[in-house]
Amino acid sequence: MAKTILFVEDSASVRQVMKTALAREGYEVVLAVDGQDALTKLNGQKIHLIISDVNMPNMDGITFVKEAKKLPAYKFTPIIMLTTETQALKMAEGKAAGVKAWIVKPFQPPQLMAAVAQLVMA
Amino acid sequence: MNELVKFYRNDYGIAFPSFISGGLGALGLATLSGFTVSGLVMAAGFVVMTIGLHFWNRNRHQMSLQAMEQSLTNHFQQEHEQKIKALQQTHDESMVQNCTNKIEIEREHIETLLADFARRFNELSNRFGVQNEEYVETVPLSIETRVADLVRQVDALIRHVDSKAISNEPQDSGIMGLDSLCQKVLPIWSTQIEMAKEHTEESVANLAQRFDGLSQRLDAAVVASQNTMGSHDSHSGIVELLENSQLELSSITEALSTSLAEKGKMLRAIEALSAFTEQLSKMAAEVSNIANQTNLLALNAAIQSARAGDAGHGFSVVADEVRKLAHSSGDIGKKMTETVDSVNVAIDDTLTISHQFAQQDKKTLANAEHIIASVLMHFTRAAAGLTDSAEQLRNENNAINNEISDVFVDLQFQDRVSQILTLVCADLNKLEQYLNELNSEESRGEVLRLMNVEQWLEELTKTYTMKEQLAAHEDADASIDTNQTMITFF
Repeated sequence: MAKTILFVEDSASVRQVMKTALAREGYEVVLAVDGQDALTKLNGQKIHLIISDVNMPNMDGITFVKEAKKLPAYKFTPIIMLTTETQALKMAEGKAAGVKAWIVKPFQPPQLMAAVAQLVMA
Repeated sequence: MNELVKFYRNDYGIAFPSFISGGLGALGLATLSGFTVSGLVMAAGFVVMTIGLHFWNRNRHQMSLQAMEQSLTNHFQQEHEQKIKALQQTHDESMVQNCTNKIEIEREHIETLLADFARRFNELSNRFGVQNEEYVETVPLSIETRVADLVRQVDALIRHVDSKAISNEPQDSGIMGLDSLCQKVLPIWSTQIEMAKEHTEESVANLAQRFDGLSQRLDAAVVASQNTMGSHDSHSGIVELLENSQLELSSITEALSTSLAEKGKMLRAIEALSAFTEQLSKMAAEVSNIANQTNLLALNAAIQSARAGDAGHGFSVVADEVRKLAHSSGDIGKKMTETVDSVNVAIDDTLTISHQFAQQDKKTLANAEHIIASVLMHFTRAAAGLTDSAEQLRNENNAINNEISDVFVDLQFQDRVSQILTLVCADLNKLEQYLNELNSEESRGEVLRLMNVEQWLEELTKTYTMKEQLAAHEDADASIDTNQTMITFF
């Protein structure tokens, strides 16, 4: 059965690129435009992995991660941050919130997919 | 207060008994004089005295109250004023202290600003190429001197710039009205940048979508081609089909040549048959010959029987019958010869036609073999070409997969560009707001603040999220390594 990945990103172009890249690897992709939208997608459906941007309108990625970790059904869902953000302070914030990996955009699809596969299997 | 009450009491206390004793004295005198004055007049005198005393007393009492009130008012006013004075003094002192502190701070601030200003002015002067001999390090001088100094230098600089502006193309001379220009143009810039951002966002998203469709169709095409051509090691697909066709076609040509050989055999059998017909025609000729001779023999027998007369009459009947038989035999012999001749003609015709057909068949077979061979060769060549192109396609597919990865990387740049533009937009808005504030302060007649460029740049630096933004800010190399994805596992 195909694994389902929730991808949270405010940029339409990156959403499309990521959807294509993940679909080529055979993943089911659920898309959300920001943290608030993403929380509505966490409605009980099985999500194997969450990939989220950091800087987004309405609700940023770090807040979203904190909120998601409060939900019992998604408490242990692995989360990857995919962002242009390289500041060590932000990365530390993500780590404290329970993020498993921090990937800086732009990403090379094969390298990203390797990381995704590793976390989906775990 | 207490003193006043005392005074009142004393006054009253002293006055009252003196009048009582005065009255008693008068009464004594009247008694002693033997009441020469009538008692009624005396009594009236006492009554009048008492009433007068009462009124005087009341009057005195009122005056004393008034005096007391006056004294109290004065006293309170004095006390109040003293307190106000004291308060004012403390307030003034703290105000003075405060002001002194503020002045100290402002002085320091002005000094730093002046130092900064002097430094910048020096830079500016250098930039304009003014050899300003008048400029000296202005640390120990008083602010007034320094300001006067700077004003003098500014005048010099303005004169210099003016002269430059006249002689050269306008450089920074159009700086008057720059702020109002900025106020007008900044929102337009922001809007334009915002619009450009939205457009690129939209079109890159479209591009990504179409690219997705393209890569999916490409994948489907590659899969289909691999199915058609057969995979690299197993010989399914067109190559095998060609080999099978070759086998089947050659079996057909084999069958054709077998049937041709059979036809040849038949022809030879017919040829043999024609040999028999020759024999048959000879035999028919012999039959005719025998019939002729038999006829002659019958004729001789008839002659001989006639000679014998009546005795030979019966024999002449036999001889006549033999002659009739010989005629019949001769007819049959003739018919046989005719039949054999027509059979011969038929066989010859058949043979000729058959030979013609056989040659045609051979030609057809050879032709068919040639055509089949050439068609198969064409097919084989085409198949080889197809196999090559399939191989090429596979290689292309791998190359395209790499390309797709690269395109994915490039498509992500829209996001980065968008973030950078958002930041620039925000800074433009900030500048616009700042200029608006300055303008309103100016219109209210407040003193213009100096623009703190360093602080502005520092605040801008804090908003950066990407390394290359910082690099670009510092005018360093802002290129990014796209071959390596930065992944950090926690």
